[in-house]
Amino acid sequence: MNDFSLKKYPKQIITAAVILLIVVVLAILKPGEQELLSRTSPEMQKLIEADQHSSRKRVTVTYNSLLVINYASLSTSGAKEMSEKYVGFLGNVYPADEGPAKIAGQMVNYTYRMLGVKENLMHGAKLTILLTTLTVVFGILLGTLLALGKISKRKILSKLSGAYIFFFRGTPLLIQMFVVYFTVPGIFGFAWRDLFNASDAEAVYKGAFLAALIAFSLNSGAYCAEIVRSAIQSIDKGQFEASKALGMNYAQTMSRIIIPQSIRRMIPNVSNEFIMILKDASLVFAISLMDITTISKNIMTSEGSYLVFIPALVIYLVITAFFGFIFDKIEKKFSVYE
Amino acid sequence: MNDNYEYILKTEHVSKKFGDLEVLKDINLSVKKGEVICIIGPSGAGKSTFLRSLNQLEKITSGKIFVRDELFLHRENDHTVDKLPREKQQQLLLEMGMVFQRFNLFPHKTVLQNVCEAPIVVKKEKKEEVVARAKELLERVGLSDKADAYPSRLSGGQQQRVAIARALAMNPEIMLFDEPTSALDPELVGDVLQVMKELARSGMTMLVVTHEMGFAREVADRVLFMADGIIAEEGTPEEIFTNPKAERTQNFLSAILDA
Ligand SMILES: Nc1ncnc2c1ncn2[C@@H]1O[C@H](COP(=O)(O)OP(=O)(O)O)[C@@H](O)[C@H]1O
Ligand SMILES: [Mg+2]
Repeated sequence: MNDFSLKKYPKQIITAAVILLIVVVLAILKPGEQELLSRTSPEMQKLIEADQHSSRKRVTVTYNSLLVINYASLSTSGAKEMSEKYVGFLGNVYPADEGPAKIAGQMVNYTYRMLGVKENLMHGAKLTILLTTLTVVFGILLGTLLALGKISKRKILSKLSGAYIFFFRGTPLLIQMFVVYFTVPGIFGFAWRDLFNASDAEAVYKGAFLAALIAFSLNSGAYCAEIVRSAIQSIDKGQFEASKALGMNYAQTMSRIIIPQSIRRMIPNVSNEFIMILKDASLVFAISLMDITTISKNIMTSEGSYLVFIPALVIYLVITAFFGFIFDKIEKKFSVYE
Repeated sequence: MNDNYEYILKTEHVSKKFGDLEVLKDINLSVKKGEVICIIGPSGAGKSTFLRSLNQLEKITSGKIFVRDELFLHRENDHTVDKLPREKQQQLLLEMGMVFQRFNLFPHKTVLQNVCEAPIVVKKEKKEEVVARAKELLERVGLSDKADAYPSRLSGGQQQRVAIARALAMNPEIMLFDEPTSALDPELVGDVLQVMKELARSGMTMLVVTHEMGFAREVADRVLFMADGIIAEEGTPEEIFTNPKAERTQNFLSAILDA
């Protein structure tokens, strides 16, 4: 079934096509890397030329390309310090040492770094999205178990689930993360980074990520439990009765009849939970993970650039909008029978 | 299993309380195989509770329930005194199909999946066999063309016929109907009753709570009039409809027939 036919979504299709077309045109018109670098001053050209034949590079070249706009910064250190910056946009190359072009250049550079374009999954937006997505997945799985425990007729199970939910919703996520990251290895005598290959330069990050993921999932499980529980309890009692009258046991009723129907009702709340986690993910800056927030803070500190937080906000908004769209689609897909 | 029984279903002194509210008081009923029994009576009389007590959707407070002359369950004051082993109970319960007033179809499953679900999942029957049987049943209730539709796309009458087919797919010995046409628009009642009449003619044992007096008159072997948790009067359709003895029955019938 083609859920994205032109008939059903004429406006969305046309808007998306127009935006895509504009982006493609702008991307094609954007000057290339060579064009940007060849605009440099003769002196800089000479240094670059010389660098090509020497093993000691004197020029530091930064080149960032973001779809429709790109940015190059060249600087030298030593006896004669030089710094040149250029922005390429719509077929033109603009010097970016001052004025609006400078700000545009900075924005491109900061965004590039916060997105972690050339980096691995332990950096920038990639880390934020990975942590959020995995947390929601584990949170729902754990939350389903907790919800089944909470509504269980067995008093002990119900009490235990209730206590778990109370604890994780009643204490700050930041401290929960500290406990997983510092207290647990402290008590049991291990270090998170040691769980990864010592020769891996990123072992520290991976260890911290694992700790964050565990803390986030345990926390999200408590919130998802309430989402799952209220969805299950919103299902008509007649569904339980019909299942029982047909001879289905509790497990069959839950797994085949009740939970599949609950999923659709959970989606809007899971979508909210996703956005909450996305924003909470910025807490990982407290254990030095290089997410969007940490990078923006580092840029602010090292370059004194107070404007860095604006592209940071925009990145969060774009992620929120994108996943909101995805959850909308999922909800429609699960609504076929209504 | 015991095939040489006198009564397929029997209750003795069944009572049911919800808190202090005594909804069923000393209900005694014996059902022979193939009998069609209609239960009529005012709202709140305890008719639904009685049907639901039979297939264990409600736990009785006191009394005995026999299935095929075997003591299925004996309770006194909310305590189980005696019962069949759990497995045996489960097995006998599968012989009881139920049709609800509000259909209770599984909305996330197609018509065919609704009918096939329990035989495959509960009885572990082979899928191909179940599907073939389900298609026959849908044909029987006149809905072959709706096999792949979701319940929400069907009218109430069609949904109720699917619900009947779903219950029949388990090959039950007894069918319990709890006001199967009360939630339907008047013009949709006929098709459902038609299916039930055909089922009665085929020899199915049926307990039907209904307000359709024409149906009761036509197919019932016996009619029970329930009020305030007791069976106030019992007899053939002829006796109950043309010559009711109890005053409550007379009042109820004249109110219904005038409406
Ligand atoms: N689960 C329940 N809890 C408390 N009271 C109930 C419950 N189910 C039914 N009742 C009460 O029992 C009485 C009989 O209900 P019911 O069996 O549904 O009657 P009928 O089907 O004849 O209309 C009513 O007064 C109803 O309010
Ligand atoms: Mg009723």
